[in-house]
Amino acid sequence: MAASGASASASDDVPTYEYIDINTKPFHVGTFEKFWKESLNPKYYSFQDVDQETEDEEFAAEIGILPETVNELKVTCSKDTLRCHPENQPPDTDVVPADPGLITLRMKKRRQDYKETLIRDSTSRQDFYATELEGLGIGKRPADLQDMVPEGEIILNVNVLFPILHERFKYFRARQTLHVLGSHRLTDLRDAICCLSDLQVSGEFSQTPDIAPEFISKDLFKSAFFFLEGIFYNDMRYPECKDLSQTIREWGESHNFPTFQTAKMEDTRFRDLRIKVGYPYLYCHQGDCEHVVIITDIRLAHRDDCLDQKLYPLLTYKHRMVCRKCGVCNLYISRWITTNDSFAPTDPCLFCEICFRMLHYDTKGNKLGQFLAFPYVDAGAFN
Amino acid sequence: MDYFIEPVKSDCEDILSRFQRTESVRYEEFATIWRKMDFPSIFYGKMPANETRAFCRLVLTTAYPFLLPPYNFQIRVGGLYLLYGLYNTQLAVPKEKISIALKDWENIMKFLQDALSSQHYDVCYIFRQLISDKAFYFAAMPKQLIFQVKRKPKRQVVCEEFRDRPARVKELITSDTLEEIMNVQEHYEKLKAAISATPGQPDPAISLINKDLGTSLQNTVTGYQKWLDGMAGKKNESGDAVADPGEGTSQQGESSRRAELLASIKSKSYGQLVEASKSRRHRQVEMDPLASEAERSHEPTRKRMPSLKARTKKNLLSKGNLKQEILEATKQWRLSVTEEDKSERPRQKARFKY
Ligand SMILES: [Zn+2]
Ligand SMILES: [Zn+2]
Repeated sequence: MAASGASASASDDVPTYEYIDINTKPFHVGTFEKFWKESLNPKYYSFQDVDQETEDEEFAAEIGILPETVNELKVTCSKDTLRCHPENQPPDTDVVPADPGLITLRMKKRRQDYKETLIRDSTSRQDFYATELEGLGIGKRPADLQDMVPEGEIILNVNVLFPILHERFKYFRARQTLHVLGSHRLTDLRDAICCLSDLQVSGEFSQTPDIAPEFISKDLFKSAFFFLEGIFYNDMRYPECKDLSQTIREWGESHNFPTFQTAKMEDTRFRDLRIKVGYPYLYCHQGDCEHVVIITDIRLAHRDDCLDQKLYPLLTYKHRMVCRKCGVCNLYISRWITTNDSFAPTDPCLFCEICFRMLHYDTKGNKLGQFLAFPYVDAGAFN
Repeated sequence: MDYFIEPVKSDCEDILSRFQRTESVRYEEFATIWRKMDFPSIFYGKMPANETRAFCRLVLTTAYPFLLPPYNFQIRVGGLYLLYGLYNTQLAVPKEKISIALKDWENIMKFLQDALSSQHYDVCYIFRQLISDKAFYFAAMPKQLIFQVKRKPKRQVVCEEFRDRPARVKELITSDTLEEIMNVQEHYEKLKAAISATPGQPDPAISLINKDLGTSLQNTVTGYQKWLDGMAGKKNESGDAVADPGEGTSQQGESSRRAELLASIKSKSYGQLVEASKSRRHRQVEMDPLASEAERSHEPTRKRMPSLKARTKKNLLSKGNLKQEILEATKQWRLSVTEEDKSERPRQKARFKY
């Protein structure tokens, strides 16, 4: 039925399990992509819809049967044969039937009965936003055809976990999920990862609150690396970038580890990588902010995917953090934290931008009273 | 979500074993069972939208392995129909896709080729439908992997009744291996004879192995093959009886003829070996097809020792009456506990358990 890629079966670049259901053996992403394209009829991964009539004719011709037989098949195999209710009486799909035969349904039924005993039952907001975000990309087409994702492009599903900065995260792995394309470079992924430590501003700014945004860590410390399959990929796009992996490599050498290789993040496309799917890798930035990165899935782009190249790397899931709100208005997200503050009810105290300015400065922007002010980045800053 | 894997799997096994009982690969038969079981209702019940999606994905990934070996042809056909049904009746919008792993593709192509050469056109047509509906993701692996290392890894259980049986024996004992075993056996006997005190006669003290190892092995295999062929023959007869008088009969006939041909080729190759080895060994061998029967049914079973904790509990705690107190003492983890706290300890929250 399709051109078969006989060469593919024996190769190392056909992903297989290293540990079942956990991770695969390492394989070359570009070769994997090539194998799929060689073994598939391009029609199979095309974004175009197929016309049923011509499709049936081709089918008949391909396997050498009469059009009448195809018509017969069309009737016997039609999707109507799957329907279990009269055509004009669709069942209520929100309700589990009263006396279910399927085991799965019996379990669902128990849960439904339990939910009915609850006084209030609300979808968690986490789920609600997740649904919304997931829906954003589906079936998107670019305004300009130039930006169309090419047919047969590969999409990698990347999970980036947040580091455990707080006791609370010990039991829950907050993460964000991104879709990147095979043509993307590692730096594209790096720029798409939103981490709080990139936004930190260090220092005391009570005298000069206006210049605080100029000292964001992201702009000051630009180095970062990915560590994938024994290779450090360093971000070297700017002259002030340093090889963060150097210390690790030197340490490794002095402890008889095999020498690690390095490469440039901006020169490496995902297609060039040799990786394991499902295996935890490392992303490190700001010196010591470490994220576990897992590539959970690689596949050919599908008609129903977001096909606007500009929207990639596409965020498909992001854990929502609890925000700490301003201590005065309890309405806006906090931007400042003060200590030794004679105006504040607590020490330290959080303020939003507006309340902070109103309370601590006169209309001309002069500092009133004694306090120390530090920029504060809330965990919910990316929500 | 993972707690749904087991029930979904057993529902899939249920519908497939009903399909197996029809001894047919016709889609109509499958659809009848599908409707009778009201299978689409598996998706019913209120769930938050993203959970609906995750559930659909779970159902599809659970059904996917039935399309692949080690399942036999009929089950794989059922697996394909099942995927077709599940894909088209799921409630997620847009539909959740079925991930096909690159390593499985060639296998699926071979399966379709088999279906085509046995003229099971409905199988080909259904697959073609799924392709043109763009129901597949051409992926690295059949599911997303997140390095979920479990302390107790779950063994993947293959439903034994669905297995493609003949292949296993065939793979294990080919005529080449049989010949090899016989050669080794012969060599071994000669060696024993050579070192024995009475020349030409092996020492009875070291005759620890069944002298007819090769032959009995071969008999077992041939006997098994015959039994299988008998089963297949029966299946085909009843299949013919049930099948509609039109194209169905000719197809069934065609495929069974092919099976017969294959079987005869196989039995021939074993038969030849019997002749060859007999002549080589200059010895008459008695056929004993029944002796192997018992061996076949014998399957190694392993009994697990209960855990240390369980044993301690059994030995110590079940005897005395101080049981309750001891348990209580080990449960307290704070240095000091108020009386109310103590009485309140076995607190139970009415949480939902799967
Ligand atoms: Zn970070
Ligand atoms: Zn405020």
